[in-house]
Amino acid sequence: MPRYAMVIDLDRCMGCRACMEACKVENNTPTAAFWMYVFRFEEGEYPNTHIWFMPRPCMHCDNPPCAKVCPVGARYKREDGLVATDWDRCIGCRYCEVACPYGVNYFNWKEPVRNYYLDWGDRDVRRVTNGRTPPYRNPDLDRPYGEEKRRVAGGGRLKGVVEKCTFCVQRVEEGLQPACVANCPAFALHFGDLEDPQSSVSQVLGRKHSWRLLEELGTEPRVYYVGAHSPHPESRQIEEVKARV
Amino acid sequence: MSIRVQRLPYGVGRFSAGFWLFILVLLSVVGWGIYAYSRQLVEGLVVTGLRDIGSMGGAAWGLYIAFDVYFVGVSFAGITMAALIRLLRLEELRPVSRMAELLTIVALILAAFSVLPDLGQPVRGIVNLLRYARPQSPFFGTFTLVISGYLFASLVYFYLDGRRDAALLARIPSPLQGFYRLWAAGYRDTPAERERHHRTAFWLAIAIVPLLVTAHSTLGFVFGIQSGRPGWFSTLQAPAFVVMAGVSGIGLLLVIAAVFRHVLGERERLHEGIFRWLGGLLALLVLVYLYFTVAELLTTTYTGHEAEVRLTVALLSGPYAWLFWVSMGALVLALVSLVLPYVPSLVPVRVPSFQPAFTRAAGLAAAGAGLVLMLYRHSPRLVPVAGAGGPEPEWVGWVLAGLAVVFVLSWFPLFARSVVAAGVAGGLLVNVAAVGKRLLIVVPSQTHGTLLPYGPGSYTPTWVEYSVVAGLFALGTLLYTLFVKVFPIMEVAEER
Amino acid sequence: MLARRIDGRVVKLVGHPGHPRNRGTLCPKGVAQIMALYDPNRVKTPLIRTNEKGVPGRWRQATWEEALTLVGQKVREVRAKDPGLLVWQKGRSKAKAFYDEAFVKATGATKLHHGAFCSDAGYRAGEYTVGISGVLHPDFRHCRYLLAWGYNLTNAGGNQLCWITWPQQLIQARERGMKIVAVDPRLRGTAHFADEWLPIRPGTDLALALALCHELIALGAVDREYLSRYTNAPFLVQEDGFFFRREGKEQVWDLRAGGPRPHDARDASPALEGTFVADGKRVKPAFQILKEHLARYTPEWAAEVCGVPTEQIRRVARELAENARIGSTVVVDGVRIPYRPVAIMAYHMSQQELGFQTVRAMLLVVMLLGAVGAVGGQRLDVGSWKVHENFEKLEHIEIKDPPYNVWLKDSKFFPINSNNSSIVAKVMQDPQRYGVKQIPEMIIVHMSNPLVAFASTPDLEEAYRKFKFVVVIDPWLSRTADLFADVVLPASTLEKYEGPLAATDQYVDAVALRVPVMEPLFQSRGEIEIYLDLCEKAGVLYGKGGYLDHLNEALKLKDPYRLPLDRKPTVREIFDRWAKSEGIAEGVAYFEKQGVKTKGSVAATKFYGYATDPPFGGVRHRLYGEALLRYRLEMRKRGVPEIYWRDYTPLPTWRKPTMEGSPREYDLYLVSFKRIEHKQSRSSQVPLLAELARQSYVEINPRTARAKGIRDGEEVWVESHNAVTGETRRVRAVARYRESIRPDTVAMPHHFGGVARHPWTDGQGPSPNSLFFTGEGYVANTADQSFHVKVRVYK
Repeated sequence: MPRYAMVIDLDRCMGCRACMEACKVENNTPTAAFWMYVFRFEEGEYPNTHIWFMPRPCMHCDNPPCAKVCPVGARYKREDGLVATDWDRCIGCRYCEVACPYGVNYFNWKEPVRNYYLDWGDRDVRRVTNGRTPPYRNPDLDRPYGEEKRRVAGGGRLKGVVEKCTFCVQRVEEGLQPACVANCPAFALHFGDLEDPQSSVSQVLGRKHSWRLLEELGTEPRVYYVGAHSPHPESRQIEEVKARV
Repeated sequence: MSIRVQRLPYGVGRFSAGFWLFILVLLSVVGWGIYAYSRQLVEGLVVTGLRDIGSMGGAAWGLYIAFDVYFVGVSFAGITMAALIRLLRLEELRPVSRMAELLTIVALILAAFSVLPDLGQPVRGIVNLLRYARPQSPFFGTFTLVISGYLFASLVYFYLDGRRDAALLARIPSPLQGFYRLWAAGYRDTPAERERHHRTAFWLAIAIVPLLVTAHSTLGFVFGIQSGRPGWFSTLQAPAFVVMAGVSGIGLLLVIAAVFRHVLGERERLHEGIFRWLGGLLALLVLVYLYFTVAELLTTTYTGHEAEVRLTVALLSGPYAWLFWVSMGALVLALVSLVLPYVPSLVPVRVPSFQPAFTRAAGLAAAGAGLVLMLYRHSPRLVPVAGAGGPEPEWVGWVLAGLAVVFVLSWFPLFARSVVAAGVAGGLLVNVAAVGKRLLIVVPSQTHGTLLPYGPGSYTPTWVEYSVVAGLFALGTLLYTLFVKVFPIMEVAEER
Repeated sequence: MLARRIDGRVVKLVGHPGHPRNRGTLCPKGVAQIMALYDPNRVKTPLIRTNEKGVPGRWRQATWEEALTLVGQKVREVRAKDPGLLVWQKGRSKAKAFYDEAFVKATGATKLHHGAFCSDAGYRAGEYTVGISGVLHPDFRHCRYLLAWGYNLTNAGGNQLCWITWPQQLIQARERGMKIVAVDPRLRGTAHFADEWLPIRPGTDLALALALCHELIALGAVDREYLSRYTNAPFLVQEDGFFFRREGKEQVWDLRAGGPRPHDARDASPALEGTFVADGKRVKPAFQILKEHLARYTPEWAAEVCGVPTEQIRRVARELAENARIGSTVVVDGVRIPYRPVAIMAYHMSQQELGFQTVRAMLLVVMLLGAVGAVGGQRLDVGSWKVHENFEKLEHIEIKDPPYNVWLKDSKFFPINSNNSSIVAKVMQDPQRYGVKQIPEMIIVHMSNPLVAFASTPDLEEAYRKFKFVVVIDPWLSRTADLFADVVLPASTLEKYEGPLAATDQYVDAVALRVPVMEPLFQSRGEIEIYLDLCEKAGVLYGKGGYLDHLNEALKLKDPYRLPLDRKPTVREIFDRWAKSEGIAEGVAYFEKQGVKTKGSVAATKFYGYATDPPFGGVRHRLYGEALLRYRLEMRKRGVPEIYWRDYTPLPTWRKPTMEGSPREYDLYLVSFKRIEHKQSRSSQVPLLAELARQSYVEINPRTARAKGIRDGEEVWVESHNAVTGETRRVRAVARYRESIRPDTVAMPHHFGGVARHPWTDGQGPSPNSLFFTGEGYVANTADQSFHVKVRVYK
């Protein structure tokens, strides 16, 4: 059974947010939902300022506070390490959202078909897209995944359920990398099997000192960072994406 | 039978025009709440002011959860009375026992109804909770299970407790006779029967007391075990919830008791001793709660963990300062009000007569302006901008608070004279504080207590949330009022 | 990029793994294009205006037949009068052969482009000084020390390439240990990768470059071999500033012979310093002149002017000197080449009032170090080291008498002229002043939004009122179109053939074609198709001198693949012929399957200027710009105001920028900048991108803001002042705190407000282009636009 993890090389990351967009298109997340989010930090005072960037996917913790508190077991930890959300079962109580220290959960506040940026009812567009909303709707997201055969992929599924980064389960199970990792222009994101010493994650972790976010909480994240440092009280966001539904 | 009753007591079965008007008003508020909820069902929770925590800068739990906690808290009253009366044999409090039990039941029903609107998929919520419930989750295993157990036990207790009166009233011909017979279920008012009744009630009370503590503690645990939420994560959370439950429950009970004392004219049965007792208990609980608050503040601010300090600053001097100081102020004023009746006997002070009219006007002005301000503030056109000031100058809020304080202070002379009035004031004030405190627990940790540096968020409830909550209060009042009209709210006593 | 298609529906765009420029990745704009593709707010059909111009348009939908007939007829009318009265303004052109060359030549239209708003001042400096067309970037694979001069690594492309390519190379270089020094008033995303920040005052880059030159000479860090052999540093200069010539040939002072020798004498050992007498004239080598010229540009002086500590300037010079390793060589591809691993990266910062001379001065820095065309050193073009025709052209400009054409080509105002559309706007407002007789009547705006993308908006609006007929080709209803177009022709976004597109990343040569991801949506058409039909309607498609004829030349089609001149081909057919002409047997089908054709690594002998045969293309790099002096004197003789000839100096000379003449209350400099989320003015309507960067704002240092009582997030007025005319302009914007910006500088992104009638562009805020000025004092001596102005900020 693979043990999936992600390694983010902050020495390389340019904060371009292409990963946020790649995730959004691949997983069809609705407006203002950023399963992958990138912080742009500024520290210090002129002229001794420092700017750096930090992508923040879901941590897919080994000790996930969200899975612990889910009243119906819709949020659960898979054997390969992915923390998944069964959107057939979720009741939308948002306990997982308030329990998560990292703020990675996004709730479908609106009817998803009305939450995709534009009105896609245009006749010409509908002809080409068969009326799908969004027009780039990814059919891979509808299938069940995992040995447990549950429907855990994709965003904008239905009103009133919680969603979050799935490590692109629909891609990983096909042997592909998550969309953010595959698209990163700086090659700063790595994904792979920690059990495999040849995987890029094992290699990078073996080579560079790594740390994890909010480690002291005991959540055991599966997302490792190399380079830079953990955000501290001096780190303030610049150019934050304050999109709201 | 040792007691004979000629007619249905305590206003049971008597419906006046005023009563129907009251019911109509309540029904319309309930209807409005249902309408608001229907909007939510159609559009989704986007019609509320709730939004995602973190990059969206919102709070995912708000009014619904806060009031859910509040209602559970209020339910403290019934079992406490049962415990005090049965276990500590405080017969003096017996007249309010049924009121308190009914309050518990209605409050728990409201609590359940308060959670349902919060669910994104409410139908699934009920079905999947039954199919897949996970006991490990504080939300279900402890909260839902325990509350259900609590409600069930309270209903059983209530039923048993009412059998005697039901049997008595079953003898009087009335439209409700069948109902009473059903309830009485063959109760015969023999000493043996009474003895059995007392014993059952006694043991039931003993069984329910741990449920009481557990129920409120587990609710506290829903919040307290979240290591990722500064402001929630605290060992004091569970005990504080228990104490606050007591505060809000006893407080509301004081108000209800005073209402019935006035409406039913039962000044002797609902005598001042009861109010003295309840008022004293409430004052003690408020003191304990204030102690908890101080302990909490000291701990978080002395050598602050960054997120805790940030959160505390938001509470004390930031966007939530007005709510914090109003709640604290209400608690302190409540405490003072409750203590005032004892002052003349302790301190040789000449208590002035009842307050001049202008302070009544000040109070009304404050209330009216507050209402207008709230409507303006929560107008859908206004979007709170993080970092910039609110839509209205802050000093307006403080002026209103000041006026409200003056208004309350002006009633002090009355409180010094009347322990009932002091009790009512105390009861109302602590419930205002309870609502405020619930909101302060639930919301700021999400908008200002994120462990990752997302920056401050905001949460402004919408008309939908206010309407649903108002509908809930109306529903509770409706259920309570309707019950009072079909069953005696106090134990049937000897007729003169 | 590749499009993932399921059942004919595009569901995702990803990078092409075989493309050297992005290696299978996309920036956020590329990923988000999928929403632009499907956006129902695109222009769906040709539109014809029904109301007056200057206000938002009211349109009626027309068929292509009607629209093209109308436009074709107008083209005929204007051309009958004078083809030059038809103007073709390009913005984004991804098929130069089809638009810039064939169409312009076939119609004889006056071509306007966007270079003056991009980096053409740098191009001119590069072309003139070392003969390469491009601005500045390093040989990333070997560079050890980089001055990232105004280079916004994480948000902008850089010299000539799309955004991803340079950052990928820079990150690899960094991991190899390359050091980066950022020179910028605003420490942008480069911050994360920079080892040091020189927070330079806007508009003073020339002073810093001169000081670095001064310091390098003081340190003795001068590559004398390179200067003697490959530049005109040893050329003898007379006291009047012109070269000393014998028989029309420039001379050097041969130290061995003790006298002047022709510069191309084989065995001369030329002096670089000293004063000599030749033919009774006092002469000095150009390098000596440079030394004397630089004497006063000390680091202390520059520290004062630039607002950068003296010690920092000194240290950078020292590090440049150390890292340059003058005299060392290295073997690459079996060829021994000089190794000078220092370079400057600069692009859009060249667009300032002193831009041309600033880039010349920056070139002087790397020339002194001998790093031009060396391994690890300075490159200017992405392709192989080929001398551009402008090397000679810019040296031999003949200033003509009026009347001039609308962009003042070969005029006494701008002998070296990058062709600035805002100057055109100024000319159209007052042609007499500029010696122009005829102003153009018709303009075809090709994928451009001048009113938003070019500075200065008010001037351009005035000019567009004067056009009798305006045609806009664009997928969106741009603000330019909305206010002034008579006809809008909807172009497709990704549903078209386009190219050929150079795909080189500087090290690997490749070519690509854009192929359609699906049938054009709505009634849009690819631009090439539009031009084919338009040329037919205008009567310039067929026959000799027609569009097809010019296309054969522009695409370099060889027999038997040349286009017949009597039949209108399909777009696909043209590309098929082109591909086969290039030696790809499968023709366009190859690109439809593969997308990119890699041609292999660029050989060192083509890559490094030193290694070409002959080295540097056989030209002498112009340390000393004699022609510039010649133009200056000519312009003075013709009575042109000083502001036009002031900067035509043979050596870069510092002066205070004109904007410093604004009154004291305009205490802040305004610069504009890019954000990675947006592409100029044409992407802020894409909701996926607009969600990330919602609207315009003005970045301000918190200390400055607090002193002015401005809070973070508060709306403020930003008001600019023209030091020459006294005109002021102002816009309203939201202030944002930023520590990483000079306290005397504010900055605004330039992307917003471009598209009209789109639900996502409402209230996006102003573009700083409505604050910048054009014309005297706000363009360079080469007509390049300046993006600096003094402003004041208040509530």
